[in-house]
Amino acid sequence: MSPAGNVLAVIRFELRRACSRGRLLWWVVLAGFPILLTLLIISVPKQSGVEPPREMWATILFLLCPMAVSMLGTFLYAAPAVSVELERKSWAYLAVRPHASTAVMLGKYLVAVLWAGSAACAGLTVSLLIARPDDMGALWWAMVRLIGLSCPAYGAAYLLLGTLFYKRAMIACIAYTLLFELAASFIPAIVNKFTIQFRLRGLFLQWAKIDVSSTDGLLLQLLGNSPPWVHVVILAGYTLVLLILAQIVLRWSEFTIADEATT
Amino acid sequence: MIEFENVTKLYGTVIGVNDISLSLPPGAYGLVGPNGSGKSTLLNMITGQLSPTIGRVRIFEESPIQNARLYRRLGYCPSSEGLYSDVSAIHWVTYLQELGGLSQAQARDAAHDALVQTGLKDVMQRPISTYSRGMRQRVKLAQAIAHNPDLLILDEPFSGLDPIGRNQMTMLLKTWLQEGKSLLLATHVLHEIESLTPAFLLMCGGRLLAAGNSNDVHGLLADVPNRITLCSSTPRPLAALLLEQDLGDAFAIHPDRIVVETQNPGRLFALLPELLKTTDCDVTELHSEDESLNALFSSLMKIHRGER
Repeated sequence: MSPAGNVLAVIRFELRRACSRGRLLWWVVLAGFPILLTLLIISVPKQSGVEPPREMWATILFLLCPMAVSMLGTFLYAAPAVSVELERKSWAYLAVRPHASTAVMLGKYLVAVLWAGSAACAGLTVSLLIARPDDMGALWWAMVRLIGLSCPAYGAAYLLLGTLFYKRAMIACIAYTLLFELAASFIPAIVNKFTIQFRLRGLFLQWAKIDVSSTDGLLLQLLGNSPPWVHVVILAGYTLVLLILAQIVLRWSEFTIADEATT
Repeated sequence: MIEFENVTKLYGTVIGVNDISLSLPPGAYGLVGPNGSGKSTLLNMITGQLSPTIGRVRIFEESPIQNARLYRRLGYCPSSEGLYSDVSAIHWVTYLQELGGLSQAQARDAAHDALVQTGLKDVMQRPISTYSRGMRQRVKLAQAIAHNPDLLILDEPFSGLDPIGRNQMTMLLKTWLQEGKSLLLATHVLHEIESLTPAFLLMCGGRLLAAGNSNDVHGLLADVPNRITLCSSTPRPLAALLLEQDLGDAFAIHPDRIVVETQNPGRLFALLPELLKTTDCDVTELHSEDESLNALFSSLMKIHRGER
């Protein structure tokens, strides 16, 4: 079997495990999060008699689906991809099989993208059906494309961090999210252009047709004004580079579960 | 089959294995040593999970590091359990065989055959979480033999097994050896190896203390003091007799036995029957620690520590 066949074997195995009761419950929680908030929001304007504008729905759904759900979903699945095998001490079975460690890493990554992406898309679709904003179809398509870029990019970032800091994978990923993606991305300097969040924001404004022509220069620095293809190419490049780096780290690391290694 | 050339493995400043050189042709070998002696490090280097800090490791004349072709010839069963509790044995072993390079159908057939061979035919569809310790050990063995490797490497395969489980595992491994395959078995329980192979490697403190069969090590111990227990109803006269004939260096006298330490056990064994004929002393039982691999191990450990 080729290395690609190995990846397919991992995907089959992981998808079957993803259908366990516990993981399905997590999927429902993730998909239900934007739905619940949408229900709460629509209950408020109806009481005051004011309908929320389309831009508000677009922004809320962007923050919930391509951002929160995609980030959290890939974080839960991709960050511990390597560390969980080491903690469970199942790594030894993989390490002595041809290309298995690479296949497990990539297979789990793809399942993480699929798992988080499907939850985000399900949450988005139901939320839009509940909220029914103007131009709902275009908004749905814009968000689905953003989810399609967000999940692979965040999944690759968490996979690399989880492989690099496998003993503290979750802490490293939380620190990265808080310090880099949430804090640094809002600093109006060159550093924010290196964040995934900045690229997604730029795409969101253009694909969701949010008018920012009247905004001042400082705000534009936070939102970016590059054409969509630039953002897409940079995000795809990020994803590829992060996956290659994770693979290099994996090949250079000597993961061993031998007790003697620590004595 | 296995070649180590001056191999040293360091974990930072801690020595995992220390300057090991050995060359093993195909066959069955026991790797014996106490916990923390470097057995698992040695196995991890054989399976390519660790690379040596100094020296060179060759398995079937190839480097084991990232060597996909070589991995197909190795079957490895680690000491840790590491099983997925939420999947069935057939599912998990099939998955590992697919990762080993077999197609989905081939992997399923190989997994099925291996699980039947290890006596798990009737339970292979059940989740692993429902298995006993012995059944889980057999699942581990099944994943290692399913692809029919040339060399089977087992790290503490008897760990946690009850006597029946140990016997079943021994029978399985004997069957494996009868097929002409090679085996490297690491354990700290010596009689487990004796029942499978006389050839062994003895490790302690990251060093290879001895290699060969028990006869080779007997030769090494020719001039080493041995402790022999003689059960007798006349322990004091017997001790006096042996002392008079200069057959012991030290004696411990108990109501029903004496324990003799001697550097020349062969002379004692040769002269004892004649001495007993000419006196009223009797000996009902004779035990020599030197008669088991266990004694060889402890004796060599004492040599290594400079206690002898």
